[in-house]
Parts: sequence; structure tokens; C-alpha cells
Amino acid sequence: MTERSDPSGEQPTPSRLDRGPLREEVRREIRRLHQLSNRGLWGLAIFILISLGAQRNFNFLPTFSEGARAVLGAAPPVKLISIALVVYSFSALVLILSRMMGGTETYRGWAHLGYLSGFYFFYYYAEALPDNFWAVFAAGATILSLEYYAIWSYCSEAIRTEKELLGKLED
Amino acid sequence: MRSIAAKAVVPVAVAVTGFVVVCCILLYSFIKGDMLNSAIQREVSLAGIIVKSTRYAMLHDDRESLRNIISNIGEQSEVEHSRIFNHSGLIVYSSDPEEVNQLVDKKNAGCVGCHEKEVPATNLGPMEQARRFANEKGHHVVAITAPIYNEPSCSTAECHFHPANLKVLGTLDIGLSAEPLRATLATLAWRMVVFCLMVLVLTVGGVCALLRRNILLPITNLVAYANAATRGNTDAPPPGGIDEIEMLGQSLQSLALRLEKKDRELEALRGRGGEPVPTRPTPPDTFAD
Repeated sequence: MTERSDPSGEQPTPSRLDRGPLREEVRREIRRLHQLSNRGLWGLAIFILISLGAQRNFNFLPTFSEGARAVLGAAPPVKLISIALVVYSFSALVLILSRMMGGTETYRGWAHLGYLSGFYFFYYYAEALPDNFWAVFAAGATILSLEYYAIWSYCSEAIRTEKELLGKLED
Repeated sequence: MRSIAAKAVVPVAVAVTGFVVVCCILLYSFIKGDMLNSAIQREVSLAGIIVKSTRYAMLHDDRESLRNIISNIGEQSEVEHSRIFNHSGLIVYSSDPEEVNQLVDKKNAGCVGCHEKEVPATNLGPMEQARRFANEKGHHVVAITAPIYNEPSCSTAECHFHPANLKVLGTLDIGLSAEPLRATLATLAWRMVVFCLMVLVLTVGGVCALLRRNILLPITNLVAYANAATRGNTDAPPPGGIDEIEMLGQSLQSLALRLEKKDRELEALRGRGGEPVPTRPTPPDTFAD
């Protein structure tokens, strides 16, 4: 970004020259916050892609051979997977809400993406994915939307503060 | 999205609705499974009753009675099909006369449970005896295949002879309509959707009402009071409602009173010195926005 010319034609004072790196740092911080805010959208987009595959019961993947099933062992009971999903959703929502209250800038969407894919996998392995797809999808959509909202509201707030600071530096 | 209402309502509404939806879907899935298992158990019992009822006719090789029993069962409104086939898979009796003397494909859904291995299985649990499918009429069916086992009285009967080493003599296949079950599940699904909507309305409505009563109205009153105080009107009492707003109002009031007092003192000082007193700049109405 180029330095603005002083309309008064006066030579800039040393203190004003010193603000250049500071302004650049603020701009960098704004860019970083924008990127951080977009992570939530990326997380949601990847989850939707995985869900599209799950809705088709992962029919594009090869089925488990008898040997693979023998190595992996029996699938856990579907009721246990469902109970685990309820417990996971509840604790994830409570943690996100408490993080939102604390106002931290951490994004845990990637970890949730892994857990939710795990639930899809377990239901798929137990041959109960078509019956339970919507439960995992609703849980994922809620958790990742809330994660996105948390990071987006934190970043919006921080970007506003940084822009105010930038405005003051450019005055 | 910067208002208190939006910031407070959106996360609560998303979290509560999402969790209720997940629980409802899983609950529906559990109830569906339980109802289906219960329907299968009932069908297995019904198949057992039919096999027992036909036992006497089978022992006496009374084919006419057997034909009538199977035909009458098939006439019941909820029975989609009923048939008995022998151990070779040949349909001997059926509620649909056109099926008689036809061979059943052992790779069909109802047969593969026992016949997937070289030596057919002779004992299956109730859930393994059941299969669900849509028949050629498009009706959803829950069908049971119940084996008819060889007994000493069968292998030693005079009328006809079954070798004693033959464990399964034939199979009863009965299919009941799954439409009543599907209708019940559809009603349950609608009730759950209505329940979810009610939870959403109550949660969002409740949070909004509490926010409006306890936060938004006191803040609006405080903004109005601050605007009035900025214009020099300090006669009105500060707004109440909640402790924090009340304290903020009192601080604003004491600030406005001190400013008013200082203004009066300044005016008096300048009046005594004969200098013109500068007027106070008009404050912008930024609070109202």
C-alpha cells in the first residue's frame, strides 16, 4: 500500500512517519482476522461435502471386505452410538457457548469435523447410516454453525476495533 | 447483528433448536426400531400359531384343509401374502393360486438368511426371520419366514413319510402390510416437528421477552435520560429497573448536576469580570442513535 501524500504540502513529522509500520501491522491484523472468520465457513462447507457422501451411504467407497471386518471387529450397537452422539452434541454446545461467553479467538471446528466424520463412519460400519444420517447432520450443522457464529462475532468485533485504530492512525 | 437481542437470541436459539432436533431424530429412530421389533415379534408369534394350527392337517396329509387355511389367512385385509413351500423351495400352498408349484429363488431376501452358506442354517432368531420390502403392488410389507420342523410324529406317520434326518420340512412365509406402522410413524414424526417448533418459539420468545423487560427497556430509558441530561434537563429521576442501569443513571445524574453547577459558577465569575460568557456548545444527539 502506498503512503498517502500530505495535502498541506508540509513535511511529515517524525512521529507521523513512525506510524507507517504500525498501520501496516494493523492492516495485517485485519487480514488475519478476516481469514480466521472465514475458517468457520470452510468448516461448514467441508462438513456439507462429507454429508453429501454420507447421504448416499458412501456408495462411491469400496465396501468392507470380510477380512477387514474381521480385523476391525464387530460394530458397536447403534443405540450406543446414538447415546454417544447426544452426549457429544450436548457437551460441544455447552463448550462453544462458554467459549463464546469468554470471548476467545480459538476455532475448534476442525476437531468437530473429525468427531462428526467419526459418527458417520461408525453408523456406516454398523450399517445404520441411512436411518441416522439426519441426526448426525443436524448435530453437525448446529455445532459448526455455532462455532462459525462464535468466531465470526469475535472477529467482527476485533476488526471494528482495528479499523477504528487504523482510522485514528491515518488522521 | 450488533444489538443485544440478536447477540443473545441467535446462539441460544441455534443451540437449543439444534439439540432438540438431534434428540427428536434419535428418539424417532429408537421408537421406529422398537415398534418394528415389536411388529416382528408379533408376526413371529402369528407364524408360530399358524404352523401349530396346520399341524394336524399336515400329520393327516389333509391337503384340502391346508389349502383352505392358507387361502383364508390370505383373505385377511392386512395379510399381503401367505404361502408354504417345501424344503426344495417349491410353493405347495399359497393365498395366490398362481404361485402354486413355482420355485422360490433361494437368493431372495427371505431365503438368503438360511441359504447363504452351502449347508443351510436351520435356526434363526426372530429378527433374522423378518424382511421388509415393497411388493409388486407397491405396498410396504413386513414378512416372516417360519421353518416347519420335522418331528418324530411326522417321520413315522403312516400317510406320508419324511426321512428322520431331514430337519426342516418346509417354510411358512407370511407377509403383513406395514402401512399401519408407517402411518403411526408418520403421525409421530409430525408430532415431533410440532414439538420442535413449540420449543423454538418458547425459547426464542422467552429469551426475547426477558431481554426486552430486563435489559432493552431500561437501556432505552437510560438513553432517553442521558439525552435529556445532555440538553440540561436534570429534573427527571434516573431510570430504574436493574441495579447496574440504576447505578449508571445515578452516575449520569451526578455528572450532569456537577456540570450544571460548574457552568453556573463559571457564568457568575465571568459576569463579575464583565466578560461575555461563551455559550455551551449544543451536544449532538448521538445517544438516541
